[in-house]
Amino acid sequence: MEELDFATAFPFSEGAKKYISNSLINEKVIEIAIERIKRGMAGEIRTTALFSENDKIEWIASFATARMILGFLKNSNITNRFAVTESKIARSMLDKIDEKTVERVGEIFGITTINDGKNIIIDMCAFLKNSPRSIDYKLINRKLTGGRMEIKASEKRRLIEEAIRKRIEIIPLVKDPPQEIKAAASRIDALVPKSSTTVVIKVDNHPPCIAKLLEGAKNHINLNHQARFYLATYLTGINVSEDDITKIYSDLPDFNDRITRYQIGQIKKKGYTTPSCATVMTYGLCCAVCKIGSPLNWHKLSKDRKEEIINGSK
Amino acid sequence: MDQNERKFASEVFSEYYKGAKIEIPKIEQREFGFGNIKKIDARHLSFGTREEFRKYLVNNTPLFVSHSASYYEFPSGTPMVRKGFLGADLVFDLDIHAEGKYGAYEKLEAVKSDAVRLLKDFIMGDFGVKKENLIVVFSGNRGYHIHIRDERFRSLMGEERRELVDYVMGNGLNYREFFSLSDTKPQRLLGPTPSEGGYRGRFAKETIRAVREKPSTISKTLKEDKLEFFIKGIEEGNWSRTSIAYEDVIKRLGAIAQTLPVSSVDTDAGVTQDLSKLIRVPNSIHGETGFIARVIDIANLENFDPFNDALVNDKKSIKIEFLEDVPELRFRKETVGKFKKGDIAEFETPISMFYLLKSSAKMR
Repeated sequence: MEELDFATAFPFSEGAKKYISNSLINEKVIEIAIERIKRGMAGEIRTTALFSENDKIEWIASFATARMILGFLKNSNITNRFAVTESKIARSMLDKIDEKTVERVGEIFGITTINDGKNIIIDMCAFLKNSPRSIDYKLINRKLTGGRMEIKASEKRRLIEEAIRKRIEIIPLVKDPPQEIKAAASRIDALVPKSSTTVVIKVDNHPPCIAKLLEGAKNHINLNHQARFYLATYLTGINVSEDDITKIYSDLPDFNDRITRYQIGQIKKKGYTTPSCATVMTYGLCCAVCKIGSPLNWHKLSKDRKEEIINGSK
Repeated sequence: MDQNERKFASEVFSEYYKGAKIEIPKIEQREFGFGNIKKIDARHLSFGTREEFRKYLVNNTPLFVSHSASYYEFPSGTPMVRKGFLGADLVFDLDIHAEGKYGAYEKLEAVKSDAVRLLKDFIMGDFGVKKENLIVVFSGNRGYHIHIRDERFRSLMGEERRELVDYVMGNGLNYREFFSLSDTKPQRLLGPTPSEGGYRGRFAKETIRAVREKPSTISKTLKEDKLEFFIKGIEEGNWSRTSIAYEDVIKRLGAIAQTLPVSSVDTDAGVTQDLSKLIRVPNSIHGETGFIARVIDIANLENFDPFNDALVNDKKSIKIEFLEDVPELRFRKETVGKFKKGDIAEFETPISMFYLLKSSAKMR
């Protein structure tokens, strides 16, 4: 892959900087950056066809400009949505490019692997730092020896995607940007729906694991599949309405109203019940020692016992 | 403890700290916490050098001394976010909870055997940590701490460390997934081999050990020649060499899978995953027992006996009177006690101090 194409596809790379160092923030680049953020907010995983060298450089500059806008805006909801979308787009690129280039992208994040001809081997810490917190990536289900483990080629790409998301999510605060950036930030801010959830997120109303997920959703953390499933079955189990659950999920960075409602509908239709504490533990979502068997039993506990558990989990 | 007894303990502590081997890598980047009433009464303290720290211990003789597993740019900064996190050692805390003041001591051997397994099978085996990058420490009371000072783990954050806790505690372990059926005819039950790493290898090894020791683990009618045939199969990853139905083979080995994790890792304390927690300073004295939280030579770990090896070296004789009934214990490889309330006895300093610090006795 040519240097410029690499920088266009992966604008967070060091090499991308050299194309934008002398580039000015102009009206066109700001417009592209705004579109890019909007695309992130909507979760549209589509790439943009770029042909001329100038278009590519503007595209790279728009990434840096978008980060500047987000750094000024300080809205974790938009930033996290932007990070999720950008990382998914980068992932779609990773699925198309050759192994050597994938390796090069991985190296940016310390994801280096050895291919012994039969297996792809990775250091366990590189795996831990970049794997999504989902049951499929739990260390316990892996062949782990001497600090190294086997992964599939597709899993390596998934690790890189996760690393990209985490990298993009960290945006330094921009205190006093040029006027054009401030104006762009106001335009983005105006697009943000003001969500308000109706379930009171009071820690002692729910078991600590659920409180943590609710707080995570509120703070626009990208909860994994098991966490979303567990939260939805729990909320369904305590009779929270579909509309209210959807409102809670609307804070997630990759929220999609249609898919969320469909999934809540499926949970109800197929009669999925709230998993037991033992299952929650296997999801890696247990964060306290409640000894209640089922998270729903939380509501049968005395106030004192709840407080004792909450204090113990801190 | 009255003032006199506290003074006595302080003098013993102070004398010990004058020559104690306290080595904390990057001491200037650690946060310290001290306690006299609780285990940590004050924290967010820091020391520039080892000597400065030693001087503090000699002069102030706190009952409990802890440091952060984390390294900070500004270790005394508050709140936590201002400290500037630079990384952290990976620490495992193995602890036992038991009824009463003395209930844990009879279980210390079991915790030690968990510590040995955690160290050899998991930390050195699965995680590939080299001996020179870790220390094993007696906690000073009811368990053991393992500090891993390997650069690779230093930048792991809380959730990633939680994964390691889940791993050693077996949370999410489904041994049934170790097995699959071959697509050959006749169909074979394929499973892990003892040469594999991680839980798979451990499961195969433990199965071989268990069926050799007690063939009824797998079948009451398994004869010796058939047993070796079955074991040979496991060594090759073929678990079919028996007349027992495959599903029954898997089912009967469930109990073995349950013995594989290390269950005494303390997740309540959360020192492994909570980067803000403090851990007892290795080779400091534990204020509830007077035992030294001794750094143990790994080669001697299996023979380590806290009631002999963690005692301060002070042969002075101290007379005490028991304030409550106390069970029999073994100090210096000899039986001590049991004692009834009102009994009077005389021991060398560390033994008398042990009962005083546990508020089971007073000085006479």
